[in-house]
Amino acid sequence: MSSEQQPGVIVVDRGHPATRDGRGLVRGIGVVLRHLRDAFGPRLERPEQTSGVFTVQYPEERTPLPEASRNLPILLFDDDSGHELCTSCYQCERICPPQVIHITQARDPASGKAVPAIDEFILEYDACMSCGLCAEVCPFDAIKMDHAFELSTATRDPLTVDRVGLARPVSYYAQLAPQAWAEARDGAMKKLQGSRRRRTGTVGMTPARAAPAPADAPAAPIADAAPAGEPAGGEPVPASDAKAARLAAIRARNAAATDAPAPDAAPAPAGEPVGGEPMPAGDAKAARLAAIRARNAARQREGGDA
Amino acid sequence: MNRTIVISQILVIEQAPGWLVAALNHAIIAGVLLIGGAITMMLQVWVERRLIARMQDRLGPNRVGPEGILQSIADGIKMFTKEDIIPRAADRWVHLLAPIVALAPIAMMLAVLPWGRGLVAVDLEVGVLYIAAVSSISGVGLMMAGWGSRNTFALLGAMRSIAQLIAYEIPLIIALLGIVLLTGGMSLARMPELQAGIPLFGSSIPGAPDLGLGWFIFTPVGLLGGIIFFICALAEGERTPFDIPEADSEIVAGYMTEYSGMKFAVFYIAQYLLNFALAVLSAVVFLGGWQGPGVAWLADAGLGAAASLLSLLWLLLKAWGLFMLMVVIRAAVPRLRVDQLMSFAWKYLLPLALVNVASAALWVGLTEWSSIEWGNLLPVDGLAPWQRIGVAALVTAVINLGATRWVLRINRAPAAAPVVVPA
Ligand code: SF4
Ligand code: SF4
Repeated sequence: MSSEQQPGVIVVDRGHPATRDGRGLVRGIGVVLRHLRDAFGPRLERPEQTSGVFTVQYPEERTPLPEASRNLPILLFDDDSGHELCTSCYQCERICPPQVIHITQARDPASGKAVPAIDEFILEYDACMSCGLCAEVCPFDAIKMDHAFELSTATRDPLTVDRVGLARPVSYYAQLAPQAWAEARDGAMKKLQGSRRRRTGTVGMTPARAAPAPADAPAAPIADAAPAGEPAGGEPVPASDAKAARLAAIRARNAAATDAPAPDAAPAPAGEPVGGEPMPAGDAKAARLAAIRARNAARQREGGDA
Repeated sequence: MNRTIVISQILVIEQAPGWLVAALNHAIIAGVLLIGGAITMMLQVWVERRLIARMQDRLGPNRVGPEGILQSIADGIKMFTKEDIIPRAADRWVHLLAPIVALAPIAMMLAVLPWGRGLVAVDLEVGVLYIAAVSSISGVGLMMAGWGSRNTFALLGAMRSIAQLIAYEIPLIIALLGIVLLTGGMSLARMPELQAGIPLFGSSIPGAPDLGLGWFIFTPVGLLGGIIFFICALAEGERTPFDIPEADSEIVAGYMTEYSGMKFAVFYIAQYLLNFALAVLSAVVFLGGWQGPGVAWLADAGLGAAASLLSLLWLLLKAWGLFMLMVVIRAAVPRLRVDQLMSFAWKYLLPLALVNVASAALWVGLTEWSSIEWGNLLPVDGLAPWQRIGVAALVTAVINLGATRWVLRINRAPAAAPVVVPA
């Protein structure tokens, strides 16, 4: 070991010059046998250790994930009141690079005015690239990155996750990232108070809390909110078709909104993508979505004209 | 001494016609050898993977079966179910035949190896010659694979392997030649029998116990020959540091690049079987084969079957020990460059092997010739056999040691300038 050690630098003295006449072989065998012996000793854990097995036997053993580890986004709601922190500000939807977040804002049932809450929030986990920009940009600390990573499924349906599937209590996130939440908590809770003042009834409450759960309701996602355990959207969701339809509807409405000033009132031929983003041709999924979108947009425009 | 156990005597099928007995004999022996070979190969792969893993601070395959011992079977099933891909530009038949041509000679090598006291499938008088001839056939298989694949990497790998096989075949056979001189015959089955007794002196001292330790490795000639042979065996078996033909970091997988599924598996089996056969051969020729403490004692006590079993255990122990040594060397030494490979064969091993043959001849002269054969120049007749062996050992030790030092010195590269490591 060298005498003057810099912090963070671990000096390992190999201490032998060039060798010849087979002595290198003998020395190499010595090194290898030392590693063989030490492999049956204590695990390699400290950085200054140079030998010992470092394998983590994954399904049984897991290394704890660092607090800032991120995989897929979740939506937080307040444990006590059941109110979601999200205010439908659309920041995350705008910044998401692959555009996999789809939001509709809630309206006051009585007055029809927009309120700072979500009506639906759909996230396509299968296309999310885990960049964390949505969590980064959210001014209300409403969307956070989860640690769960074991999400493989046989079909892609469970990977289109809606408001119910995304909901996690604040306490869950506080347990995942205690430090980050400690810094964000006060501001987030204060902003939530502000939002709640403009919400009425059950608007803005996470669906599992808003309505008494029907007997045949699928297990609430809160129940399986164990840290990094169950896949967030893993359980087969019977309502996946409904979810996909709603997603298409949101897309179509948005497309129609951007398309509204278009002069030609003739119904757009079905199958032709209407709306801003060009879709990659040949992609079955894209084609299907585009078809739904175009049909809905056309229908909406006709309804508006009448 | 019964060199071969005739299976028909065990099975007691006296009424059967002679040709049927012979056919059964051969079928049973071939079956035992080949099944044993396959099981050995699976065990080898598992042992190697687990050992190397520990040496590299990993655990290795430990999921299939207890401690992962069935991993090779799982791999075998995977190989079986894989698609067999033949490149469109490949020469179909050459591509198909290459693995077979590579494996068959190695399986044939197993036939002449003496596995234990009296356990040899075929006792050839020219066993050493047979081994040398047959083992070089598999090189043809490698070249067929490289050429038939129509792939540049495969061809490069095949060329490298041929260059390597030819370069190392020569010192390998010359190293064997020294022992052939000592034993005065080419029969592999006889070699272990001549390595009875005590270290160095064998059975030359009257009254000394037969420990089964008169291994050739304890004589100067056998030591140098054994080291040369083992290094050449590493090269023949394409073990690291001589795995140049299939250097995966340079030329994908060498001649195996275009092989998949069972054809690939056959190459794989051939390689491990060759390694094992060479380990057994080294053990037979230099480490006393099946000789070991207790074998002669059991045989003298009339327990022939127990002696055979113990001798088989001794041989397997030695062979597995050598295989472990190969594994350790693989973990410890990086791959050579092609020029280093060639200069090592031609500049170090070949001269030393030639000197070793001369030493062996001198040994035979000093221990077996009479004074008259020496032209009355050396008064060797008055010495007891063990005294003559002592003299011969001394003389050959001096010659071999001197030659080794000389070869190492003349090949030494000029000292490089000291490397200054920036502080
Ligand atoms: S993590 Fe990135 S890709 Fe995924 S939803 Fe958020 S912004 Fe979009
Ligand atoms: S999650 Fe955050 S950024 Fe996205 S809409 Fe809700 S409040 Fe805005």
